[in-house]
Amino acid sequence: MKKPIRNLAVVAGTASAAFALAVSPASAVASTVWTVSPSPASITAVNSGNIVLSVNGIAMTCTKSNGSGSGQSTTGNPATVGTINSIAFGASGTPCTSVLGPVTAVPTTPWTIVAQDYTASTGVTKGYVGNVDATVTVGACVFRVTGKASSTYTNSTGALAVNSVAGELTVVSSSGCGSAVPVGAKPTFKGTYLFKVAGTTTIPTIVGSNP
Amino acid sequence: MRGPGPTPRPSRVRARGATIAAFVALAPLLPAAAVAVGTLKVDTALPYVCTLPSGQQPATVRITAAFPDRAAPGEEIRPTDVTTTVELPASAGLTASLGPTVRAETRLTVDVAQNEQRARATWSGTAQPLDVPAEGALVVTTTGDVPTLTTGTAGDLTLTAADLALDLAPGAADGSSTTPAPLSVGCVPGQDAEGRTPLATVPVGAGPGTGEPSAPPASPSAPSAPPSSPSSGPSSPSGRTVPARPGTAEGTGRAPEVPRAGQRAGGGGGLTVTEGDAPGTPEGRPAAPPCVTENPTPTSLSAYITGYSNVRKLNGATVIPVSCVLIEQGQPEFVIQPDGSMHLLTPSVGNLSYQGRKQTPPFRATFLTFGFAPTTATMVLEQTGPLTVDSDVLLVFPDNLSETYIRARFVLRVLDVRVNGTRLDVGPDCRTEKPLTSPEPDPVKHPGDHLVLLGKGQLINGTDATGYLLTGGGPLTGEVSIPAFKGCGAGGENLDRLLTASISGPGNHIRQIQGQTCAVGVDVPTEGQCTGDRQPYVVPKPER
Repeated sequence: MKKPIRNLAVVAGTASAAFALAVSPASAVASTVWTVSPSPASITAVNSGNIVLSVNGIAMTCTKSNGSGSGQSTTGNPATVGTINSIAFGASGTPCTSVLGPVTAVPTTPWTIVAQDYTASTGVTKGYVGNVDATVTVGACVFRVTGKASSTYTNSTGALAVNSVAGELTVVSSSGCGSAVPVGAKPTFKGTYLFKVAGTTTIPTIVGSNP
Repeated sequence: MRGPGPTPRPSRVRARGATIAAFVALAPLLPAAAVAVGTLKVDTALPYVCTLPSGQQPATVRITAAFPDRAAPGEEIRPTDVTTTVELPASAGLTASLGPTVRAETRLTVDVAQNEQRARATWSGTAQPLDVPAEGALVVTTTGDVPTLTTGTAGDLTLTAADLALDLAPGAADGSSTTPAPLSVGCVPGQDAEGRTPLATVPVGAGPGTGEPSAPPASPSAPSAPPSSPSSGPSSPSGRTVPARPGTAEGTGRAPEVPRAGQRAGGGGGLTVTEGDAPGTPEGRPAAPPCVTENPTPTSLSAYITGYSNVRKLNGATVIPVSCVLIEQGQPEFVIQPDGSMHLLTPSVGNLSYQGRKQTPPFRATFLTFGFAPTTATMVLEQTGPLTVDSDVLLVFPDNLSETYIRARFVLRVLDVRVNGTRLDVGPDCRTEKPLTSPEPDPVKHPGDHLVLLGKGQLINGTDATGYLLTGGGPLTGEVSIPAFKGCGAGGENLDRLLTASISGPGNHIRQIQGQTCAVGVDVPTEGQCTGDRQPYVVPKPER
């Protein structure tokens, strides 16, 4: 498990590759105290680049996606440092698309932002987006996907880079999708969201420690 | 996530009470390409009296129709090949009041009776613009919407012609209006018609042999259904004031005018007549013909399609009007081809749907025949075989490349031709002798004459999908050969060779635009894709 996660961190990180290579693989001691600034914080999120959901090689692209939620300091590991209360995929006139047609994704929220590992030298928190639950419709094909999606959060940019690993998300129901999206299929969810404290240009930060 | 089945569309049933159930939906009136085995054909001329500006005048109303010769309870009874011809006498003086050209609509009231129960339907029809003769009778022949009947109980179902409304609107063939006001003419069966107005008796029973079909007047067993019932009352000719609508070239789903109510009580409920589906133009959507999926499944889709088709021989293009396609999306399946490539195949099937028929709406095109004769033809594409939609998505991570082939068997039917403004009678059966034909990339798998349209789409490395998308629509292109015509002409004049020489030939480019589909049967259709009653919301525009 470590190797792919390390690879994801490299891909998702906004620092230079050389800088990333200098990062130690993980903290020697897992963080148990998580400080979110500000806390509590009302947070907005807007995609940076396209959001792509893929299942069995079929890509579904959203050029617009945004959400809102909250962040708060907490303790434990893993620890829920934030909640996504609403998230939209596509926008009016700009739906998500696939070669099979427009894609509609209706999420069931809240989703969670869970922290597991913090690297002080980079300000990057590794973890995942949890409680993922969305119903996706493409024409007469309707399926529901649930699970979690690995992610990293970078304090310097406010970027939550979601890059799920195959197996984290699962199709739990499917209708009209044939073998394209059967129950049990393992979609992936990739994309980056930029976080701001609602109504400001302030980037919220997450810092993990182990006092 | 999903309910037990598709969400039914709201019922339009209203109560009238009694013991049989008759459901009326819209059926087309253009003569059918095929009639079911066991057909009862009706061709009757009835004396009517029409109230004209000049006073009451005798008229002859000829009604032709075909019915199934028997039906089971619950089985649809669909009148086909229906025409209504009204012959008004020369003394009516219509030339002075209407001008040289008129557009006509008819609404024939048809009383439906079974056992002790009554229902009423309206057979609406429109006619091509026609010239008012300076002398002699005015003869108007219309085709249009006809309700389909379904009755829940056994017993002879009798259809009887009753009042007739004829709307005449002045107007040139190009649609421009002229000064005279529209004229509404009310007609009632004449005294001479007594006992002759029953059109047909269709035995409805548990199985064959319940009864013998009959077409009046050769049906002594046909129950005599009065032309009106207490709840409806006789129609007053002066009450038929719905004006003709200049410019309307196609039938409309006008609702029957009498109480049509009742509970659909399984097997034994009251006499009910359900309105036909002609919901008109949903709010905010451009005008388009109704596109209703009856009995949708979870994989039902519907869409509009329109576009240009060149007629190479005439050096012109015609717009194939916005047409409704009803699709059943197939189950997408993964297939690994012999070359190792990974494909997602989605085979779907569909049908054109226009007023219950597998065809486009009638469309009109004007060309310079042989380079000098301005010719206006009214045509329709009739579907004579399966319409398939085969989507093939090549999955080459991270890209998706799709090709969608639409194959259909369409014959081109010519309804009306005017050369230099003079009508050329092509008769009722003027069609291409075989379906339109395109080059077929896979003739082994897809033999026979058929049209082929191709739509290409792609999604490259996480970007937006572009081009033709199976459910999203987009451009479909192809090339078609128009076969020779046959059955064209009337009165002993054979026009096959003339039309073939004028129109038929290869190399006609087609570019059709499919609109966004409406996923009719899903629990929650995506916003912006369906109307409230689950017709396609997106009406495409033709593109060159």
